[in-house]
Amino acid sequence: MSLEAFHHSEPLTLGVELELQLVNTHDYDLAPYAEDMLRLMHKNTLPGSVVPEMTNSMIEISTDVCHSCSEVISQLTPIRDALVKSADKLNIAVVGGGTHPFQQWHERRIYDKPRFHELSALYGYLTKQFTIFGQHVHIGCPDADAALLMLHRMSRYIPHCIALSASSPYVQGQDTQFDSARLNSVFAFPLSGRAPCVLRWSEFESYFDKMTHTGVVKSMKDFYWDIRPKPEYGTIEIRVFDTPLTIERAAALAGYVQSLGAWFLEEQPFTPEEDDYLVYTYNRFQACRFGLDAVYVDPPTGTHMQLRDHILETMDRIAPYAEARGATGALQLLRKDVEAGQNDARWLRDRQREEQMLAEVSRQASLRFRGA
Amino acid sequence: MNELMSFWGQWLRPSAGLPTVQWSLLLAVASTCGYLVYRHTGLPKVVGYSIVGMVAGLLGFSGAVWPLQGIGLFLIELGISIVLFDAGGRIPWRWFRHNPMVLVQSIAESALTYFAVYFTMLWLNVPREAAGPIALVAMAASPAVVTRVVADTRAAGPVTDRAIVLATLSTLYALTFGGAHAEMLSRPGSSFFEAVPPVMVMFGVSIVVGALLSGLIRLALRYMSPSSENTSIMVLALIAASTAVAAHLGGSAPLAALLGGMLIKQLHPRPWALPRQLGTASSVITMLMFVLVSTVAAQADWSAAIAGTVLALIAVRLVAKALGVGIGNVGSGASWRQAVWVGAAMMPMSSIALLIASQFMAASASTGEAISRIALPTILLMEVFGAVIATVALYRAGETHKPWAELPTGTAREEQRES
Repeated sequence: MSLEAFHHSEPLTLGVELELQLVNTHDYDLAPYAEDMLRLMHKNTLPGSVVPEMTNSMIEISTDVCHSCSEVISQLTPIRDALVKSADKLNIAVVGGGTHPFQQWHERRIYDKPRFHELSALYGYLTKQFTIFGQHVHIGCPDADAALLMLHRMSRYIPHCIALSASSPYVQGQDTQFDSARLNSVFAFPLSGRAPCVLRWSEFESYFDKMTHTGVVKSMKDFYWDIRPKPEYGTIEIRVFDTPLTIERAAALAGYVQSLGAWFLEEQPFTPEEDDYLVYTYNRFQACRFGLDAVYVDPPTGTHMQLRDHILETMDRIAPYAEARGATGALQLLRKDVEAGQNDARWLRDRQREEQMLAEVSRQASLRFRGA
Repeated sequence: MNELMSFWGQWLRPSAGLPTVQWSLLLAVASTCGYLVYRHTGLPKVVGYSIVGMVAGLLGFSGAVWPLQGIGLFLIELGISIVLFDAGGRIPWRWFRHNPMVLVQSIAESALTYFAVYFTMLWLNVPREAAGPIALVAMAASPAVVTRVVADTRAAGPVTDRAIVLATLSTLYALTFGGAHAEMLSRPGSSFFEAVPPVMVMFGVSIVVGALLSGLIRLALRYMSPSSENTSIMVLALIAASTAVAAHLGGSAPLAALLGGMLIKQLHPRPWALPRQLGTASSVITMLMFVLVSTVAAQADWSAAIAGTVLALIAVRLVAKALGVGIGNVGSGASWRQAVWVGAAMMPMSSIALLIASQFMAASASTGEAISRIALPTILLMEVFGAVIATVALYRAGETHKPWAELPTGTAREEQRES
């Protein structure tokens, strides 16, 4: 199968997907209610879509094409409200966060859909361990070559995205010491990590042809890269975000990505190169492990600095683009937290320190998600 | 030699006696049978416990007598109280505000069961004074069996959750109306208004004990972690104390425990999963309860006429519960397929039905006799086959871990399946 042509999309438009946890209201463990939630949600007229995910305690919501982060929140709000209403009807709760803090992966059940069964047959237990919850942000690109440029420029800011969204410190009832342990699960997949550093679509097509020739991949869906081109939408898709605990933070993160993209398109600030990736995995690890307290190695200079300082520096740089796109409020929301050293992972740890009970942490997270 | 015997005589100490040995051995056999049933058929262990109790009862085991009394009665009440306290703690009242159709579903299935069984009994020439109590006994689905089936098959999902809640609510109605009816039966000849005060005392005591129980546990949970072993022991001890107090003061111990569980869910919205923490102690008590119920229920006299009546009751009850769940299903958020399996999962009858029947027996020996002739065999059959039907229902609903399709073949898998 050859690679689909890169479709046209309006530059810098946004699309946001959120994978969400469905939990019971008894002990707040994951609850297999995806099918019931889909049935109830389909009775509503809403923007975007609601679809099943790999295991049946997960659900994915997405927006339509949006032009700004305020449009993102205006679409996510009615979807969230409908989700909460449906969940109330079923006596379950919807929760954000990159991992469920104490679920046991072996208790999960694969959602009854051919693709998920195929993946389960191929990847074995990894598919059940893939009960993790991320936010994906699509950003529209003017053309295919611009998309690859955008993709590799954005790679330098992957640690920023990880640290700002990190919300998965607990796995199987234990504090992993990571702010984002979710990405460790993604790394287990053979086609995860980074895309090859090619800047022309024709080169990417030939790479894709070679990969399909090996029989290892059939479509772009088989790549679990941190950022991947999405030719059918005319976008690149950033996949490293943990699902935040609130839709407001999810929209703010989309606004951050859009402002970065606007800066890239307007100023063409640097040309990505293979050597950028020398420190990619290290920076990514640091952001997963330490969140905002991570060390960031600047790819072109090799300078070491605090990630939070680099994030604030970047925010200053993209502030005019944020203003032009109506994302100033979104950046302020994120900046305030960066200055306070706060992200969702820290909120979860603070709650656990206070409550000494992860189920209660999940309950409080469910209240945050519903905007209570 | 005489010196040796004299020493031997001094060395022997008075023991707990033969009944303790009998019960200990019976429980050991039941435990083994439960394990083997689970391992080789994938059916829940409760089926094995019940079969052993039934065989013991049919063989004339004299360790438990009908009508229930003394320590046997207390153990059943305690087992029920533990199960109902937990089941009550799974019912958030706010759910009925968001989804009143669940309440409609519950009332519809209970009311339909009552009237369907009542008129069927009348049609089969069962005396009117016995038909009403039998219908009340039939109304109660068994949360005890359903929760054991759920634990053994590791079931989770909408059908499982709804079956537990509807079974618990049907128990609440059966305990309430059954208790009131038994109180009135125990005062033959008195007018309705004369019968009201004792009924109110029964409810009042149950409510006060339930409120006290939830209040004390709520207070303890302000300082104790729900995952602590000490908290579990404290909860068990308080449930045991409230069971004894409620029964002693003329209240209904199971009703008090159920109300206590429901109250604590409202007073204490933090998550708190009782079975995970209560562990082996509560498992022993509930296992004892299942063995005791089938031992007692097996003491019924069988005849062709009774067998026919019992089978008719079971069939009518199945249809009525399924219809009731179906009627209330519209707008309740569940699919029709799920409604069918919820109805089927509510088939088990067990300890609560036995206890309600026992209340009628205590209230009036003659009427109680007529009730137990039909109620006991029904309870016996539904404790065993109800558990099987519930297992099939949850399996067909896709909410179990496929007990038959994935029978364990190796040690590691067996360990994983053990709950």
